Amino acid sequence: MRIWSVIRKCAREQKRDLWVLGLSLVFAPLFVFIYWLFTGGNATTSYAALVINHDEAARFSDGVMHNAGEDVILAMQELTFKDGSPILRVSSISDRDLGETALRDRDATLLVIIPPSFSQTLANAQSGAAEPTTQVEFIGDLTNPYYTVAAVMAMTALDGYAVDATGEYRAVSLLETALGDSAARTEFEMYIPGLLVLAVIMMLFQAAMLVARDIESGSLQRLKITRLTAFEYLSGTTAWLALIAIAEVLLTFAVAVAFGFRSHGALWVAILVGVITSLSIIGVGMIVASLSKTVSQAFVIANFPFGFFMFLSGAAFPIPMNRLFTIAERDIKIIDVLPPTHAVAALNKVFTLEVGLSGVLYELTALSVLSVIYFSVGVWLFRKRHLN
Amino acid sequence: MNEVALQVKSLTKEFGSLTAVDNLSLEVYRGEIFGFLGPNGAGKTTSIRMMCGLLEPDSGEVIFQGGKLVGICPQETILWEKLTCLEQLEFIGEMYNLPAKLARQRGDELLSILGLEEKRHNLASTLSGGMKRRLNLALALIHDPEILVLDEPEAGLDPQSRLLVREYIRSLAQKKTIILTTHNMDEAERMADRVAIIDHGKLLVTDTPEALKRTIGEGDVLEIEILSIPVEQALAIIQPDFPDIQVEGNNYFIRAGGIMEKMSSLFDAIKKAGGEIGEVHLRANTLEDVFISLTGRRLRQ
Ligand SMILES: Nc1ncnc2c1ncn2[C@@H]1O[C@H](COP(=O)(O)OP(=O)(O)OP(=O)(O)O)[C@@H](O)[C@H]1O
Ligand SMILES: [Mg+2]
Repeated sequence: MRIWSVIRKCAREQKRDLWVLGLSLVFAPLFVFIYWLFTGGNATTSYAALVINHDEAARFSDGVMHNAGEDVILAMQELTFKDGSPILRVSSISDRDLGETALRDRDATLLVIIPPSFSQTLANAQSGAAEPTTQVEFIGDLTNPYYTVAAVMAMTALDGYAVDATGEYRAVSLLETALGDSAARTEFEMYIPGLLVLAVIMMLFQAAMLVARDIESGSLQRLKITRLTAFEYLSGTTAWLALIAIAEVLLTFAVAVAFGFRSHGALWVAILVGVITSLSIIGVGMIVASLSKTVSQAFVIANFPFGFFMFLSGAAFPIPMNRLFTIAERDIKIIDVLPPTHAVAALNKVFTLEVGLSGVLYELTALSVLSVIYFSVGVWLFRKRHLN
Repeated sequence: MNEVALQVKSLTKEFGSLTAVDNLSLEVYRGEIFGFLGPNGAGKTTSIRMMCGLLEPDSGEVIFQGGKLVGICPQETILWEKLTCLEQLEFIGEMYNLPAKLARQRGDELLSILGLEEKRHNLASTLSGGMKRRLNLALALIHDPEILVLDEPEAGLDPQSRLLVREYIRSLAQKKTIILTTHNMDEAERMADRVAIIDHGKLLVTDTPEALKRTIGEGDVLEIEILSIPVEQALAIIQPDFPDIQVEGNNYFIRAGGIMEKMSSLFDAIKKAGGEIGEVHLRANTLEDVFISLTGRRLRQ
């Protein structure tokens, strides 16, 4: 049976490349584990909701002064999952601009604004006066998939309280304000940032395999005796790959725009984000190459950063994350070491939330810092392992 | 001419339990062609890789006196498959800090010297095996190194190309120090000013080919295959007249002056004893005989 011989040959070869076999086997289990870690195992997601309470207390029919806004905040906090953990993480703030910035940065999912007349309207409803309803404002980025959940939950708390207080279901009306252009995005437009980031992430493979080819063929040995430094070699390679990345980003945008994609913010800012992201991805590619001896090894190893970039950065789906620490009022999370995290956030802001260069300075800085770090680590490893 | 270019001191390299190079010490003189001769697995490649700094020795050191500019032609053909002949010569030249124009000019020169001028704009992946070998050699020469290290420069070449390469290397010898490896005694004998014979990682002797051949005595070598009678019996017939004899299986290597005249009586004696004579070669002493006298084995099976 020659099939049997082929099987045996595969097994023997694979046995001598245990490192690759191990990595392939470990890939999916590792991500199951990481997802378990990040989602806290059987813990549930809580959504960050901000509330600006302008409400002034009023005397209810029971003769007691009530600040109904405060009560609603309490009601929102009391919403829990079956296991008792809160659905909404509610914080009170006083400034709308601050709240909107948090929404843009996705540090919060929902901003609720309770009007001054809230308690009074409910009190009037209790006494049967035919008052106009009071209007509570919900603000959010409609392209943020968590927004809908948070809004429905907050609405439940709000309505529940109002109905309890007045028996009058219609006492509260809802004004939903979409952040930026988020209400007007077509489904096609929603996919573009993700696709763009994916295109840039794919540079990882190209970068790692390009360098691994020189390692595998032995040509690096030739270069070694010319005393070429790891820095020169990797810089040259990176520069070339960056050109490809620029072409790729421009081409993707051109096609997207040709088919009706609209950017609310300046397109050149988005292009800049794409290009700097690609630099950091290429930096990671250099690290992968340093760890590889062959092209196929580079491919298998590259799958790991690829997995992190795709599944954990918010490029494919959002990931709830708790902050590690705070720098300059920025919450720093573990996933901030992944370049696509910043790319997705920045592109979303530019495309949908109308921000310009100044609005994505943080992301651009983070991406630049990550590029430098990854590239330096790549050079260091490469020197150690291949051009010693 | 005995100015030392390169000094090797007690180089040792082990791979697991195998000692690939065992305490190798030697000196290479400026302007000579120094040949490493030894069978497959003797440790030639390992030695020169350590001498070039491509492999870290377990112990020992390599001291360059004066120039350190080395060109190496590896045993395996290592090319950029997707670059043309000229492009890769230019590239590696520039890596050695040659100005682009000079790199191109030298590349062109080398390609025509090595008979590849027609292929200068062809991709390396489209060359024949022997052409790749020649390009492999050209890549070691592009920057005009002072020390040239060639690992089996003649491997894979047809007789004509072999001659071409041989002549070119010889022509370089006056200006450069050349270290080459080979398992071909003929190549070593014709090319090298001095030969180091190594086996199992150990340096056995170093000297000029002539001096080495002299050590095993003057004269011719008769290589004779004797079948149908045991070794002891054959030796009993041969040894009285020819004391200098080596046996390997059924092959007897007899060394003596004026063998020609005594040959027919020897053959008669063997046949009379019931022996059958197989292949017979009569030749002058070669480095192969030196190797046999040192190790009791032939260089090539
Ligand atoms: N990377 C390695 N790992 C393990 N063993 C090795 C390695 N490189 C060489 N060896 C062993 O070291 C010994 C010497 O090898 P080397 O390549 O130096 O021989 P050589 O004299 O160049 O032979 P050839 O004429 O076949 O090229 C061999 O037994 C070989 O198997
Ligand atoms: Mg060798």
